[in-house]
Amino acid sequence: MDIFNALMHGFALAITPANLLWCLVGCALGTAVGVLPGIGPAVAVAMLLPITAKVDMTASMIFFAGIYYGAMYGGSTTSILLNTPGETASMVTAMEGNKMAKSGRAGAALATSAIGSFVAGTIATVIVTLFAPYVADFAVKLGPPEYFMLMLLAFTTVSAVLGKSTLRGMAALFVGLAAGCVGLDQISGQGRYVGGIPELLDGIEIVLVAVGLFAVAEVLYAVLYEGRVKDSENKLSRVHMTARDWKRSIPAWLRGTAIGAPFGCIPAGGTEIPTFLSYAAEKKLVKDPRDKAEFGSTGAIEGVAGPEAANNATVTAALIPLLTLGIPTSNTTAILLGAFQNYGIQPGPQLFTNSAPLVWALIASLYIGNVMLLVLNLPMVGLWVKLLKIPKPQLYAGILIFATVGAYGMRQSAFDLFLLYGIGLLGVVMRRFDFPTAPVVVGMILGPLAEAQLRNAMSIGEGSAMVFLQRPMSIALIVVVLAVLILPRAFKVMGERRLRAAGA
Amino acid sequence: MSHPELDAGRRDSAYQPIDPPEGGWPTWPQLLVGIGVLLTGLGLAWGAVGISSDAGYGGVGPNFLPWLVAVVLTVCGGWMIWEARTGGFRELEDPPGARHGNWTGFVWVSAGLLLNAALITRIGFIFSCALCYLLAVQGLRRAAGQSAAGRPRTWLVDIVTGLLIAAPVFWTFTKFLAINLPGLTASGWL
Repeated sequence: MDIFNALMHGFALAITPANLLWCLVGCALGTAVGVLPGIGPAVAVAMLLPITAKVDMTASMIFFAGIYYGAMYGGSTTSILLNTPGETASMVTAMEGNKMAKSGRAGAALATSAIGSFVAGTIATVIVTLFAPYVADFAVKLGPPEYFMLMLLAFTTVSAVLGKSTLRGMAALFVGLAAGCVGLDQISGQGRYVGGIPELLDGIEIVLVAVGLFAVAEVLYAVLYEGRVKDSENKLSRVHMTARDWKRSIPAWLRGTAIGAPFGCIPAGGTEIPTFLSYAAEKKLVKDPRDKAEFGSTGAIEGVAGPEAANNATVTAALIPLLTLGIPTSNTTAILLGAFQNYGIQPGPQLFTNSAPLVWALIASLYIGNVMLLVLNLPMVGLWVKLLKIPKPQLYAGILIFATVGAYGMRQSAFDLFLLYGIGLLGVVMRRFDFPTAPVVVGMILGPLAEAQLRNAMSIGEGSAMVFLQRPMSIALIVVVLAVLILPRAFKVMGERRLRAAGA
Repeated sequence: MSHPELDAGRRDSAYQPIDPPEGGWPTWPQLLVGIGVLLTGLGLAWGAVGISSDAGYGGVGPNFLPWLVAVVLTVCGGWMIWEARTGGFRELEDPPGARHGNWTGFVWVSAGLLLNAALITRIGFIFSCALCYLLAVQGLRRAAGQSAAGRPRTWLVDIVTGLLIAAPVFWTFTKFLAINLPGLTASGWL
């Protein structure tokens, strides 16, 4: 009953009028940035990070969580209505969603994705509520060697496993780690890579990197290469699901949630694998030949319902490693971690004891936010679709104004704006040559933390790296890291061999 | 990680690059990227020389991570150069969008961003951002091939739009959220 009581306290804090308003504004803003091309939740939260200087902690975390969440709802609207592959999270939704929309069933696709998001988000929030405290209890027992290994696991998955090329993923990760090195070393207090520039003593702000890599790079990339790309838009039909749609959607939502939630819980990150798995599962499980024929032709509703639910379940469950271990597994959670740090709080097992009211208000706000988003996205979807009418030049130029607020507002330095431009150029090169960006942000945020854990662990081992091999949990994690590195490659080699054997 | 079905889905969608590449992509830009990564690694190594190695009890000092990063980036850079010289980056997807960059538009947007950085403390947030918006939107219009971009009427519309976005943003963030943004006057309204 402890959890129930704590959650009720959380609700009491979250439903104060001011916090409800923050939640609503966050959800609305999140939906808007999800709908708008060229700007996502990571960059929206990053641009608004300066408000952490003035706004109360609980309010701003509720606000950011609303953006984080809302963007998932809004993103599916765009991927269904616009014939452009969006971010990876909604790419799978787009596959069937687009086809449904083209055959005049955009409304049903939008409805199943909004309701599916709600169902999956709520179930995953229940999972967060029930399990996060236990994970936190368990995590208290972890020492620096285990933490370091967990972070190593996050680095490995985000750079070596999720991207297409391990080499470019590694390069991106180490660029992020290098950026994290700039400034005062947190243990010895000496400056690293400061080069006599006083602005660099404080390190490079995560806002700058996120806004530069995502917003500024997006605008520069758009003007360079995408000026003449024309998006075609599908027509919105009445947002309504037939009884048969419901019958097909409900099991898909539940399966999607069951696939997505575990992926969010492990510090591995990425929505690409669970959404794709869900899509593959739905395609395999469909029995009715009529429904089966819809896959890839007129668009099957299961192919939207499942991946969309998996996406939201993953994203919500990703709050468990963030809150209990302090390990972000995506761009947006990395920046949420930055928001906590701005308040001088390090998410981790102590968060549930030291900042219990904040955590529970945040979790309660997820329940409330899900309801708000369902309302915002079902009856009012037509309103958001209008955002797609904003012409690209004005939209992208407008984004630069907000980018300036985020970058300058953080520490009032014009130097940062020059740096922002430089990071934007880096982002353009990264995009052009297919480098993943998430490793940069995760590396930058997690790098200093991992370094501290490594040095503490080595101190515990009195200078010997054997400390990592002397503790069962640490060894287990080393095995997991190695498995994550080796297994996919081994499978690939085996598959190729089998193909060759079959061909010979 | 590539998913054949996902890739197929991507190809099926209505989104097509404007000018699909004829033949292969040149690899010299990849070579430059590789050299850039290599030089970054070497530069970081040069910077790491000056960082103390005082490790205390741990055996791992403040210079450990910088050296690790420097070495790994140097190796990555070398590897990329090798890949670029032996047929190009592996598992590379064709970049989205056009084959050749629109550098005129790029210069406009860059000018907007850099002038904003240079002027924001002198002429205040509102005017500096409106200028940035104006130059950026002009560049983006040109990149999109809008023939009306250079007309006086479009300029006027863009100036007004820039001010109409920048001013409320300035007021919202400074008055309601108490974020410090530079004003032109001390009153805080402009």
